[in-house]
Order: sequence, then C-alpha cells, then structure tokens
Amino acid sequence: MNRIGLIVQREFTERARKKSFIITTLLTPLLMIALMAAPSLMMVLGKSDTKKIAVVDDTDAQFVGKALVSGETIEFQLLAPGTTLSQARSQFNDSDKAFGVLVIGKDIVDNPSDMQLILNDASSITIEESIQNQIQNIIRTARLSRYNIENMDQILADANVRVGIQTLKNTPQSDDEGSMEETSSVVSWIFGLILGMMLYFILIVYGQQVLQSVIDEKQTRVLDVMVTSCTPFELMMGKILGIALVAALQIVIWAVLVIGASMFVMPLLFGADSAVAASSAELGAIIGMVTNVKFVSGLFLELFLFIVGGFLFYASMYAAIGSAVDTPQDASQFNTIIMMPIVLAIIVMMNIMNDPNSGLVFWCSIIPFTSPVVMMARIPFGVPTWEVAVSLAVLYLSFLAMTWVASRIFRVGVFMHGKKPTWKDLGAWIKMK
Amino acid sequence: MDSILKIEHVSKTYTGHKALDDVSIEIPRGSIYGLLGPNGAGKTTLIRVVNRMTIPDCGNVLFEGRPITADDIYQIGYMPEERGLYKKMKVGEQAVFFARLRGMSKSDATARLHEWFSRLNIEDWWEKKVEDLSKGMAQKVQFIATVVHEPKLLIFDEPFSGFDPINQDLLKNEILGLRDRGATVIFSTHNMESVEEICDDITLINKSQNILSGPVEEIRRKAGGNTFMVVYSGQTSDFINAINGKATLIGQAEGLIGGYTQQKIHIADNADVRPVIGALNDSVMLRSFQEIIPSMNDIFIRAVGGTL
Repeated sequence: MNRIGLIVQREFTERARKKSFIITTLLTPLLMIALMAAPSLMMVLGKSDTKKIAVVDDTDAQFVGKALVSGETIEFQLLAPGTTLSQARSQFNDSDKAFGVLVIGKDIVDNPSDMQLILNDASSITIEESIQNQIQNIIRTARLSRYNIENMDQILADANVRVGIQTLKNTPQSDDEGSMEETSSVVSWIFGLILGMMLYFILIVYGQQVLQSVIDEKQTRVLDVMVTSCTPFELMMGKILGIALVAALQIVIWAVLVIGASMFVMPLLFGADSAVAASSAELGAIIGMVTNVKFVSGLFLELFLFIVGGFLFYASMYAAIGSAVDTPQDASQFNTIIMMPIVLAIIVMMNIMNDPNSGLVFWCSIIPFTSPVVMMARIPFGVPTWEVAVSLAVLYLSFLAMTWVASRIFRVGVFMHGKKPTWKDLGAWIKMK
Repeated sequence: MDSILKIEHVSKTYTGHKALDDVSIEIPRGSIYGLLGPNGAGKTTLIRVVNRMTIPDCGNVLFEGRPITADDIYQIGYMPEERGLYKKMKVGEQAVFFARLRGMSKSDATARLHEWFSRLNIEDWWEKKVEDLSKGMAQKVQFIATVVHEPKLLIFDEPFSGFDPINQDLLKNEILGLRDRGATVIFSTHNMESVEEICDDITLINKSQNILSGPVEEIRRKAGGNTFMVVYSGQTSDFINAINGKATLIGQAEGLIGGYTQQKIHIADNADVRPVIGALNDSVMLRSFQEIIPSMNDIFIRAVGGTL
C-alpha cells in the first residue's frame, strides 16, 4: 500500500474506533428523530388547549357572530343580544372563564375597523389572524350580497381557483407525449437548498476535525517522525481523505438510521394520519421529486461529486490553517475568513430561484470557494453539462493545489514554533523552497 | 575516507539568530558518530538539515557522495529528542504503521517487530495503548520504530534520556549491534560517558560552529597533550634531576600509601617518551608510567570554555 493509503487507513481507523465517534454516531439520529417528532408532538399536545372567546355582537340579527365558526383552537361563545361590553368584561374577567371578549361594532360592514378584542391573557398572533380572516370573509360576503346577484354562492365557488404550473425540461431526447422530465422551480430550489445546507454543516463539523488533526500532529510531536517518513503532501492528503471517509461513514449510518426510524418508528408513534397532516402542495411535490428515482439518480452522481469535492477543498483549507498555527485558539482569525465564502455562497443560493442563470450565479458556481453550494442548488434547475464539468474540474484542481499549499505551510510552519504567522509570513512560506 | 554523509559549509539563520554557522562534517560509513554540544548550540538544527526538515540558507548535504534527495530520507531512521507517538493507537499497530510507511510489507514488518519486541522484553506491550505506557517504555517503542526498517543511517537525538541504567545499557548494546551489522549511527547527546563508550568519532558544536571534530581516541590524546602520571618510590630530588630537560612537572607530588609518590609530568609535544622512562628507571624505582587521557567530559567543558 502506498503511503497516502496507509495514512488514510490510520486516520480512519483511529477515528472510527473512538468511543466518542460511536456515541455521537448513534445519539445524533435519536436527536434528529426527536427534532422531527417535535412538531407532531406539539400538535398532539397543543390540541387540548382550545381558547374560548366571548362575542359581543351588536350587528343586525348578530349575523357576524352567528357566522363565526369554532375550530380546534378557538371556541366562540355568542352572548345574548344587548349584552354590553362592561357586562361581558365582568362576566369573563379571568383566563379560566374565557381567553377574551370580542366586540363587534354595529357598522362593521361599512367600518371594518369597528372591532375590538379584549384579552385576559397574552395575545396570540394565530388567534388574531384566525379571527381577522373569518370576519373579513363574512364582511366580504355581506358586501357582495348587497349587489343582489343571482347564484352568488355558485359564482363565488366557481371563481375560487388554484393554479398549478407544470414545468418540463426541454431535452433533445424528450418528445411531446409527456416523457419530458418534470421539474418544478420551487421544488428544485428547496431540494438544492437542503443539499447546500447539508454541505455547509458537513464542512463546519468535519473541516474543524481536519484542522484539529493537523494541530494534534504538531502538539504530540509525532510530526518529526512523520515528516521523515513521508512528504508533507502525503501527510495532508492522507489526513483529509481519512477524515472524509469517516464523515462518509458517519453520514451513511445516520441516513440509514434516520430513514429507517422515520419509516417504521414514526408511524407507530403518531399514527399514520399525522404524517399526512403536513401535506401542503410543495412538500408533497418535494417528497414526490426526492423519491422520483429517475430524477434523483440522474442528479446523484453530480451532486455526490460536488459534495465530495466541496468537502475536500474546504478540508484542505482547514489543513492549511492547521499547518500555520499551534493552537485552535490561534486558528480563529483564519477561521472567520474561511467561513465568509460559505456564507456568501448560501446568500447567492437563496437568490438562485429568481434567475438560475444570472452572471453572479454562474460565476459563483464556477469559483471553487462557492461552487459546491451554489452549483448544487443550480443543478436541479438544469445546468449545461459543460458548466458542470468545468466547475468540477476547477473544484478538484483547487483541492489539489490547496493541499499542496497546506503542505508547504506545514513544512515551514512546523519548524518555526511559537510565532503566530501573519498573512505575509504565509505567502513567504508557500514560496520558500 | 568512505563517508556516508558529508555536510559542507552549512549555515542556517532563523529570525535574528544564527543556528548554524558554516558547519562542515564528514561521517564515515559504519561508524558511530557523536554530535556534541551545549543546549542551543545547533545540534538539532543540524540534524533537521540532514533530514531535509529544514532547508539550509547555504551549504550542501551529500548522502553517499551526491546531494541528498527526498527519497534518501527513507534510508534514514530518525529518533527525535521530543518523542512522539500517536497516543490513541496500540503499540504494535503503531510500530507496524511506521514500518510500512517506510516501505516494509505488512507481514515483514510484523515478523521483524515481534523479534525486536521480544529482544527488548516488551513483547506483552503489543496490544497496549501508547497513552498507557510510561515515558521510558514509550521510548523503547520509538527506538524500535526507528530502526526496524534497517536504514543505512540512523540518527538518535539524546537516545538515552529517560532511560534507567539497565535500559541505557540494553540500548547501547543494540546501537553497537546495529553498527556491527553495517548501519552508520549519528547521535546527539550531552551524556559524555556514553560518548567515550560507543562513539568512534565526534563533532563538538558550540555557538553554531563546529569547534572540534575527529576520532574520539585522537581527540582525547591530543587534549591530554603528552601528560603522564608517574608513580615511583625514591628521592624526589633524584626524580627531578632525572627528568630535567626532558619533561616538566605539573602540580605537586602526592604521597601514596606504601611510600609511593605520584607526580604528573608533561613531555614536550612530539617528543619521545622513552628517554624519560629510561632516565627515571635509572634513578628511582618506577611503579607505573601512564598517559593521562582526559575524559570527554573534561574535553567538552574545556572546549566550550575555550581553554582546549
């Protein structure tokens, strides 16, 4: 086995055997499942808490109050006609009796602001919105009915449409019969966003490990032996690849555990219907798209290459920093600078939906500092193959170059202990023969 | 001379401090070469130059007659003064890792390492973690990791520090054994006793400069400067008359048990000792006549102090 392979193997086995690795690998999915379960749990627990609202309605025949519909969260209690506000307030004066009193003015239809909500408790935005929406609809219907149009209800029902656009990708292979790949910009964007975020977290967590590993090498003084047994480039490359493998192993284990748990454990916990509860149109489409084997497998190789390349490139930057400093504390000044392009990439990624092919987005998906995150979010929109190829080539070459730079800094930096390097020093070290 | 390593006019300056100043050394193949000097003299820097860890400002390092290259590093086994092993790794596994890193096959490395482990009585440490070893134990492991791939040139930086006398002896014998099997050994040390015992040649570095080099025996003889200790019985005046014109007295005569007297004398450089012995033999009863060879310790102190 060559030397890089040996170093990779050493880094990998040492890390993968650590107790802390085994514990975090097993505990994190539990936390993730807990996080996933939390909203459903909150929904289950939140149900019992129905807020009672007493309604004082001065309108003719109390038509507004009668039209209010109690739901899971709000229960309306319409008070007898002629009840005054002060009567209602003294009757429902603490939060056990009612959440609050809603007063609807006599001329609410013409003066929509003639309405008050007097609360015994802290206000709640959802309750306010829910009441506002209901009354708005009631007033709208009341105003429309003034015009005495025949079949009003039918017309309204008929006019209430929801538009859905089907976006298809125009590829040379496709025909008009519907075999075109289905894409959706919202779904693509969210899909890319999730992947971009994933990469971001992988970079932060495992990039730090590379940094720490290089610093450890210096602190344990193994490096004197190591640099006389292999080249600094081999050492850096071995460390980066070793930790990348550990990251891959951990992520695969997590994925298996989380997917397994959400398939078998979650339905048991909450019943099958709670999964359906969160079935907005977009979410459904995402699930459809992510589970669309053809779509995912088409992107998988590209996405995989970008995730791996992005990790390797940033890991090599962390290695360069680790080479230049003696303690993790000293690394902080450089750390911020590494984070900046990633944050920039995330900002650009957020704007991709507006125009996935703008100049800014294009260049950000070629430049290696931002390309993994930005390109990943762009790919689901459909990107020409040559762009992907160029971006990947630049990314991997930059990784090799940065590893080389890291090894230069390592070799020189190591033997100049006790001095915190400046940017000028780093430049000089790279050039040094 | 068949030299394995030749260091020619090497200088190295760190920010504001000269670590090596025009140092030249030639190391004969198959010898044990001592690199001596006070703390901070530049020994470690010199070793790092040889190991290509530090690039000199000027000067050359020739390995087997040609400028040293990156690949030559694998012909060198280096045990640094600041010992380092991966703490979380098991001893055996780590030794195998280093051996393979230097080009041995896994099976070869494992077999050879088991031999070494049993020779140094540490066979039962194989499965232990490095962090559970004492300092001396870790040093033994490091020593084995340095030599197991049988490099042509071995460099030990303070190899005996941290060892008890029994293990020092064990290690000394192993180093001699390595030389006898053809390796060249450089070792840097402050321990002058070990230099006398095992070094064939030395270089003494002080304040970044090579101030003394050569075979140990020659250096000691030279430093002795034709000084002899004479033990005799008889009249002091006869003794003084006998050496008159041939040698000079150093210090006072000392009386010894049994009526003997002991006196240090100095014979002029390059002069023959036989006339002195002859004259003394005629006038007093000679008990012993012995050249005084200063210890390496004396030489070290005198050389560094500038009185050699």
